[in-house]
Amino acid sequence: MNNNNNMVEVDARGLMPPHPLAKILEAVAVLPPGAELRARTDWRPIHLLAQLEQRGFTAVTEEQPDASFITRIRR
Amino acid sequence: MRTAPATPANGPSIALPLAFVLTGLAALCAGVVWLVLQPGLLSTYHYNQDVIAVTHLFVLGWICTIIMGAMYQLVPVALETHLYSNKLGCAQFVFHLVGVAGMVWAFRARKMAALAHYASVFAFGVILFVYNMARTLRRTPRWNITASAVAASLFWISMAVTAGLSIAAAKCDYDPALALAPPAWIAAILRGLQSFGVYVAHFGAIRTMHAHAHLGGAGFFIMLIVGVSYKLVPMFTLSEVQSRARAVGSIILLNIGLAGSFLAILRHSPLESPFACVIVAALALYGWELAAILRARKRRALDWGVKYFLTAVALLLPVSALSLVLCWSGLPQNTFTGQLENLYGFLALIGVVTFAILGMLYKIVPFLVWFGQYSRLIGRVPVPSLPDLYSARLQSLGYRAFLIGLAATSEGILLSNETGVRIGCGFLALAVSTMALNVAGMLSHFFKPALPPAFKTSTPLKTA
Repeated sequence: MNNNNNMVEVDARGLMPPHPLAKILEAVAVLPPGAELRARTDWRPIHLLAQLEQRGFTAVTEEQPDASFITRIRR
Repeated sequence: MRTAPATPANGPSIALPLAFVLTGLAALCAGVVWLVLQPGLLSTYHYNQDVIAVTHLFVLGWICTIIMGAMYQLVPVALETHLYSNKLGCAQFVFHLVGVAGMVWAFRARKMAALAHYASVFAFGVILFVYNMARTLRRTPRWNITASAVAASLFWISMAVTAGLSIAAAKCDYDPALALAPPAWIAAILRGLQSFGVYVAHFGAIRTMHAHAHLGGAGFFIMLIVGVSYKLVPMFTLSEVQSRARAVGSIILLNIGLAGSFLAILRHSPLESPFACVIVAALALYGWELAAILRARKRRALDWGVKYFLTAVALLLPVSALSLVLCWSGLPQNTFTGQLENLYGFLALIGVVTFAILGMLYKIVPFLVWFGQYSRLIGRVPVPSLPDLYSARLQSLGYRAFLIGLAATSEGILLSNETGVRIGCGFLALAVSTMALNVAGMLSHFFKPALPPAFKTSTPLKTA
């Protein structure tokens, strides 16, 4: 996990389900107020989005040219 | 502590796939016990009502139920979208349950009129399922190999159900109903069904049944195993599809072979063997690509779920060889050939499809339980990982028992030996018991979650 000012980056690629979900949700739990978390995954995180919504976060997922996905998460 | 399966707002349903999975497992247990009690169903060759009843218990009650439930869980994940309608899925579950239970009973009790009614209930459920999946497919942000295979499988299950209803229509007696002088429009429908039944009957009962089984077995089950594994095997072994052309080629060839084989079987055409070769070529391409995916994997150790699945795929080899032998026009029609047909059906449905499903269930059920019970607690309290939810020793025992059961039952079928079949099915029952025990252990987490003691006694968690 990389922290840079108000940006927290989590690389959850190369992990078997449900480890990417767990890794991102653990990072989200300690996300400072006002910060954004950028999570990189191999697949579109369908299950994550519902969990984030339940916890009061907003998230936008974008596919990258290398076929991975970046999800930007904010409180 | 909340114990019911949790489903976040707008999130994927946990209860729907679990309902299908548990129903399917109950049917598998019943089917295996049935074979242990009546091994003659496999050790001798005959198309009686008991054979057809137990076959439909396995095919519809176990395999179809599980695959439909798994699709409600996996297709949205594989296609990166949400299920079109959870409510439609729940409605389908009711039609499916009533239809399948009624069909198996009606086959066994030889109640053909009731069979047609229950088959119609089941078919209505399939219509709901196909519609739900088709609308889900339309939402997929990008069309891929798996989406193509899912679309094809929806077409083939529709064809299989239509063929099954046609067989039922051909067996029904419409004269008593027509003698009651029903309203003109009902009489027209009955006469239409009667004419259609006569048309279907001219193909011959056995050929029609083989064509119907072929549509369901290869068209729905094998198509899905092939298509979905292009997504799931890379996901579970940390790899990627190595040759898209090979993967696409396998799906195209499988579809061509299926269409050609269906017509060739129905019309008793000499093209039966060439089209069977096309299907085998498709499976060879699939095996080639799967081997390449596995060679490129980053996760060297394979877990038991993947081992079950890959062993099932390897069993496509003897099944393919048997299919080529059985569609050879010069094959003598004798008792041994009949046993080879039994062996083919047994190895395809139990060896390949059932073993593959058991492997995938070791991925699906733990995830459903973990997601339903623990995902909302991540970051707040230590939660168990997936392997903590089941026993690897039971998985290992189940794997060995299943292989011994397959071998012993196959030998019993070939030798027409009732005792051999009973012993083999006993081992299969042991394997199924290990799965049932593991599933029971996983489900127990809904009632006794594995959480730190302090958290267990706290008040229910409030979500943000």
